[in-house]
Amino acid sequence: MALTLKQQLSSPGGLLKFLVKHNTIFIFVLLVIFSALISDVFFTSVNLSNLLKQVSGIGIVSIGMLIVILTGGIDLSVGSMVALLAVTFAILVNVFILPVAILLTLVIGFGLGSVSGYLVAYQKMAPFVATLALMTIARGLGFIYSKGSPVTFKTPGGAFMSNFANNSTLGIPNIAIVFFLIVILAMVMLRYNVFGRLVIAIGSNEEASRLSGIKVNKYKFLVYAISGALAATAAIIVASRTNLGSPNMGMAWELDAIAAVVIGGASLNGGKGTAINTLMGVLILGLIGNILNLLNVPSYPQQVVKGAIIIFAVLLQRFDSK
Amino acid sequence: MKKNNSEYRLEMTGISKSFGVVSVLEHVNLKVKPGEIHALLGENGAGKSTLVKILSGVHQKDSGKVVLDGEEISPKNTHDGQVLGISVVFQELSLVNDLSVAENIYLHKLGSSKFWMNWKQITKDAQELIDSLGFEIDASARVRDLSIVQKQVVEIAKALSEDTKVLVLDEPTTVFDPTDTKKLFDNLFKLKAKGISIIYISHHLDEIFKIADSITVLRDGVDTGSMAVADTNTDGVIRLMIGRELKDLYPTRDVKIGEVPVLEVKNLTAKETLVHDVSFSVRPGEVLGIAGLGGSGRTEMAKLIFGAHKKKSGTLILNGKEIKTKTPVCAVGHQIGFVSEDRKEDGVFLPLSIRRNISVTNFSGISGKLGFINVDNEYKNVLDLIEKLNIKTPSSEVDVKNLSGGNQQKVALAKWLSIDSKVVFIDEPTRGVDVGAKIEIYNLINEVAKKGVGVVVISSDMPEIMGVSDRILVMHEGTFYGELTKEEFSEENILRYSIGERLKQVV
Repeated sequence: MALTLKQQLSSPGGLLKFLVKHNTIFIFVLLVIFSALISDVFFTSVNLSNLLKQVSGIGIVSIGMLIVILTGGIDLSVGSMVALLAVTFAILVNVFILPVAILLTLVIGFGLGSVSGYLVAYQKMAPFVATLALMTIARGLGFIYSKGSPVTFKTPGGAFMSNFANNSTLGIPNIAIVFFLIVILAMVMLRYNVFGRLVIAIGSNEEASRLSGIKVNKYKFLVYAISGALAATAAIIVASRTNLGSPNMGMAWELDAIAAVVIGGASLNGGKGTAINTLMGVLILGLIGNILNLLNVPSYPQQVVKGAIIIFAVLLQRFDSK
Repeated sequence: MKKNNSEYRLEMTGISKSFGVVSVLEHVNLKVKPGEIHALLGENGAGKSTLVKILSGVHQKDSGKVVLDGEEISPKNTHDGQVLGISVVFQELSLVNDLSVAENIYLHKLGSSKFWMNWKQITKDAQELIDSLGFEIDASARVRDLSIVQKQVVEIAKALSEDTKVLVLDEPTTVFDPTDTKKLFDNLFKLKAKGISIIYISHHLDEIFKIADSITVLRDGVDTGSMAVADTNTDGVIRLMIGRELKDLYPTRDVKIGEVPVLEVKNLTAKETLVHDVSFSVRPGEVLGIAGLGGSGRTEMAKLIFGAHKKKSGTLILNGKEIKTKTPVCAVGHQIGFVSEDRKEDGVFLPLSIRRNISVTNFSGISGKLGFINVDNEYKNVLDLIEKLNIKTPSSEVDVKNLSGGNQQKVALAKWLSIDSKVVFIDEPTRGVDVGAKIEIYNLINEVAKKGVGVVVISSDMPEIMGVSDRILVMHEGTFYGELTKEEFSEENILRYSIGERLKQVV
């Protein structure tokens, strides 16, 4: 069973099996090749860096979603949280110095996530219901605090953030670097840290986890809080990109995040999924949007194609489990 | 039975089946007469279940021939099988939890019936069917609210609601206590008298010799022979099953049992279950057996001590100090372990690898301050345990769902061996486990005891509990009714206490 890569590829039908097993990466590579062939603008640094900038916010939210989904839960509130927290950050950055504004936004995100976490872990509310309620509440609060219109950055701290979010280091957009760092951190935590092990154990069998002496409630609580903190990170990034916080930000992001996690091969029942595959899921979704934009496909057909890709990716995963 | 010239009701000849490159069955033959109870034996993974699944239409054979009443059949799915008169009670319960007992029993008929259902009639029919089996279950109850024993009865009733010609029972008695098992056997004899052919799969050889007329043994996908029960004995069958001589099913233990109890339980009463006024103690190195009928509260008692159920009153004393176990987390903190009876449901993590399963209780041993896991230590620990427990697997990265029942059980045990437990509760240590793996698990229990751990074994398997225990406590209706010392061990004594006949007070 512990075959090396070479053995896998050289065994009969090995290449096919390998491709099915790593289907997310396979689809990603196919899409990149396809995109490069079909459009000569695709492989320009401007386009690629735009693509990365577009996916970074949603990508960070997707990592939070992955961690929640690994426990067998779901977090529908992330999109609205991004809106509320973007508004929050815009208000805070105009009042406090930058580090304080950032820290407070993260803490508030963590706190809002904790509310879902508390309801799910300690009040035994269904994750779908608890986070659905939080989703409405956060969106509503966003509109209340912004009085319905965007809040612009007015201070040097805001200008610094805007500058940071729109620039690159070594050719990679700064916000994409933040996203990648979060992916790497999630990868390490899920693979090599007790936290990740327990999250996956809880998702694969909650009762067995409880009987193994795992603090199930604590971890279920934590994943929603972390998802909230990551939504705050995403909110800071998207607000900084546009120099403002708007209550309309993050519309339907929860759905894109779930889609990315699912395309990345995670199971909505929990216990299965990796950060690297979620990254691939995010990039695949981003790529589809990007290439369709380059081809001047209007946004409604884009949605149809996105849906089709989700179905295709999940069907492909079926072969893996057979 | 129109044109059937053969003396057999069912003839399966030369059946072969492989999944991918793994050959599961090779030219297997199985012949069953009308009105015969035919035992199908073999270790886990020998191919019994696959053979039955081919018969019932779950799997399709690669080659071979299945003849029922003189006509060749090849059911494409279980519905085909049922129409042909083949009913199977699978090991995994296949009931819909949120439907009533009656609805479950007639579930397969719903599709083909008229548009409107006469639920009153259906419930009445179901009730009659269950009553005729001699069990007490309300046909209008929801399956979710039934005990595991009752669920199994419903499963059997479901199989009988058809015009059954061949009835297959896969390990039907694993959850049954002796009284229920006897009721089941009485029913089987009735069915047999009606001319129904019964294929009976079990690991309990004593059962086989009580009820079966003939035996077919499978080993590694090949049938090693069919014979009449009268022509063989337990040793003979075991030899065919494992292909070697079996010295001693219950290995002897050379352990010096400590004087001072490691765990004392005083007047423990549960808040939500029937467990009440339970007092006992277990000493280091001792294997304490807990016997009793299904539903007598043995598992509930263990879960109560382990903190998985809520306590109303009572004290626990571990090594002379009073402890509280409000949750399993506390219990594990006090180094108390618990191996669940329902391995698949809450004992192991089926989709996770062996390594991840074993490590789950032992992160303090393999991780640093910030919770980062030292992978080298982890592998060392896990590979050690795999070797020590003789878990049959190509690597530590195999998912537990792909292991046989016996090996899964060893993984469930390994979880608690990787930490230094002081007391371990093992609920039904060998349910659904084959003979070879059983011995290994008994050896394991011995080894744990040798380390000075107090071992509490709960088991419905009489020979097993007498074979492994130093002392047996018998539970009846939530409390202990009697204690048996090794000299007093007998099925009769255990049974008497189990049904509430109080012989002498527990000290």
